[in-house]
Amino acid sequence: MNIEAKLGLDVFKVDTEPHIVIKHEICQAKCQIRYCLNICPAELYTLDKQDEVQVNYEGCLECGACLMACEHEALTWQYPRAGYGVQYRFG
Amino acid sequence: MEKVEFVVVGAGLSGLATAMVLAEAGAEVLVVERGDYPGSKNVTGGRLYLGPIRSYLPDLWKDAPLERRVVKERLTMMAPESSITVELSSDRFRRPPYPSYTLLYAVFNRWFADQASERGALVIPGYKVDDLVVKDGRVVGIISSGDEIHANAVVAADGAHSFMAEKAGLRKPHAAKNFAVAIKEVIEFTPQVIEDRFALEDGEGTAQLFFGSLTKGIHGGGFLYTNLESLSLGLVLAIQDLMGKSGLEQNQGPPPVSPHDLFEAFKERSEIRPLIADGHTVEYSAHIIPKGGFRAISRLVTDGMLVVGDAAGFTLNMGVTVRGMDFALASGVLAARALLHAREQADFSSATLSYYKTLLKESFVWQDLKTFQYMPDFMANPRLYERYPSMACDLLEQMLWIGEQPKVKLSATILRTIRQNLLRVDVLRDLIRMRKI
Amino acid sequence: MNIIVCMKQVIDLEQIRIKPKTREPVIEGLPFLFGDFEKCALEEAVRIKEKHGGKVTALAVGSPKLRDTIKEALAIGADEAIILIEPIFQDSDAMGSARVIAKAIEKVGEYDLILLGDSSADEYSGEIPPRIAELLDLPQVGFVREIEVMTDNDQMTDTKKVRVVRDMEDALEVVEMALPAVVGVTSELNTPRLAPLSAILKASRKPLNEWGPDDIGATADELGPKALVVEVLSNLAPIQDRKGINYQDVEEGVAEVVKALQQEGVLTQ
Repeated sequence: MNIEAKLGLDVFKVDTEPHIVIKHEICQAKCQIRYCLNICPAELYTLDKQDEVQVNYEGCLECGACLMACEHEALTWQYPRAGYGVQYRFG
Repeated sequence: MEKVEFVVVGAGLSGLATAMVLAEAGAEVLVVERGDYPGSKNVTGGRLYLGPIRSYLPDLWKDAPLERRVVKERLTMMAPESSITVELSSDRFRRPPYPSYTLLYAVFNRWFADQASERGALVIPGYKVDDLVVKDGRVVGIISSGDEIHANAVVAADGAHSFMAEKAGLRKPHAAKNFAVAIKEVIEFTPQVIEDRFALEDGEGTAQLFFGSLTKGIHGGGFLYTNLESLSLGLVLAIQDLMGKSGLEQNQGPPPVSPHDLFEAFKERSEIRPLIADGHTVEYSAHIIPKGGFRAISRLVTDGMLVVGDAAGFTLNMGVTVRGMDFALASGVLAARALLHAREQADFSSATLSYYKTLLKESFVWQDLKTFQYMPDFMANPRLYERYPSMACDLLEQMLWIGEQPKVKLSATILRTIRQNLLRVDVLRDLIRMRKI
Repeated sequence: MNIIVCMKQVIDLEQIRIKPKTREPVIEGLPFLFGDFEKCALEEAVRIKEKHGGKVTALAVGSPKLRDTIKEALAIGADEAIILIEPIFQDSDAMGSARVIAKAIEKVGEYDLILLGDSSADEYSGEIPPRIAELLDLPQVGFVREIEVMTDNDQMTDTKKVRVVRDMEDALEVVEMALPAVVGVTSELNTPRLAPLSAILKASRKPLNEWGPDDIGATADELGPKALVVEVLSNLAPIQDRKGINYQDVEEGVAEVVKALQQEGVLTQ
């Protein structure tokens, strides 16, 4: 089962405002390893053609592992606004 | 501006336990939950040890929507292509009072919140606390979308990240080494299929933990719990190890791998595949877990605020048992008792609220965490996940394998394994370390 | 201007899942919320009150979870809330529910305008507005996306009027009607405000009016299972038959899709 299919099982209420913002100036200048690309259980972090990290916050499971793994503090990560984000049925 | 006696941030197990006890004593308590309903942002692996906490909230458990009482404990040690499973099945587990149950957090917590509401707590989901109101160094309230609510004291029950404790200066952010990430699938079956596959009777359940090569050297392991109509299957992985930095020796760990890939490989293992065949996955979830143990506990008290549950770091992974929910519930109750003590004296200063720490120290929460304070170091050893399980599996396989070639003496097989794997300095170090746990 | 807003709590539709084997929707234990139409009706009532004065009463029939759900209505600006949560009320079809609502409205007594969602977000049958209008012998319009309370020249008389705009999809119809009247609204009406946390807290402290069958003078024959006129035969998700074609090359893929559609009889040669 691929990750997209798994995320398709969960209830997401998608906000128009992202709750994860990448500070590209820090990310590009300081981070070589980019742990975020691997650590996210939902695999939401990708590299674009300009070698910039992008995040699809819409499928965020709100674990915050990326925040812990971002050594250069290049992420602004907060919980989504109330009424948004993943809503677990089983938990 | 509105004022209540107490505000609890987060309607998880710890926050609701606090609110329940406060409300029962007649205090006005507001629980603010950012999810659409209590439980909607919570994840558990799947079991609650009732043994330690029954006395904390008596008369509560009869109608609780718990899944199955655990009567079988399994521990599986995995090598790349083999594994050894130890199963403890005990009639002691089959006699009331049952020591532990599997559960689904979002299901359980909706009920638990209703219990708190019935006792008079105001549980309000759909609102996120953005910040604390701090005056002269004292926490005096919360802010939600610019709206201030003042309180005599605030309880940070906002989970492992605890932005509230961080805002109050009780903990520092970004401590990757003290956290693991857990991922889980809930896979649906009929109760009959579960009972057949795990040889269980009606209402009985199994808890199974896995460690070894499934995590590719990463500190962590797998879990499998039987619910009434589903299995909870998941992995727990140390964040620092996922970053290629073992907790024991800097930069000695494996290269970064993706949790989801590890999980899929785990599901494909021959030990797991037949157990989940023909099931329908109905949810995929992820959460972080504090794993630093006793020495990573945050500061717990400041003027006008207490920290409980995961927010405080009250979890204990001993490899064979993984606990957190029982600590969360007990710490929540103790926080409420401390707040009631402060209420009697109308003094919510750090000095008076420190009664919470006194109560904790008398409880199993503090004592268990302290007794096993070296567990996190011990568990961070990559050899526990690679060399030792492989060695044990290989040895047993050699003893049990009957092939074309005549077999060598058992003693020779065992001696060779010991010579190859155990007569080493690092093993000696591990043995010495083991004395501390 | 006294306004009664009838509000139905519905399960959060996004939370419903379908059991793969039986196609049954799983709805037990799901959280309740007010539908968008209800929220717009309430918002409009509060705006009218803010402009013209009067009183807004929120009225709801449903499960005991209404005790929580209704707080939102009070927080947004309803002056009073009446909930009817006894089990017998919940086993009703649209006819029975309309009867309960109409009787409750009669008990409230003083009203100029009855506002409600044109349809509920869950069942979407759209029966309640015309049914309660019929039971109360009031004029009724639906699909309303604008409401204007007419204050000109009628101030001197007792006759109050509203001018409403109905959404007829390809046309807008403007209707003037004398009050009291029943108005069913759509979500184009306004953007409902969000209740601040402090308002929810304040609402939580207000006592709720819980009415039972005796309060509204309803007999057992008029309510619940005995009064059902609609029988639900089945409530299953439609059978889905999804087919997929994986391809690497776009042109090749298009050709394969076309071929497959032809074989299925969807496309003709």
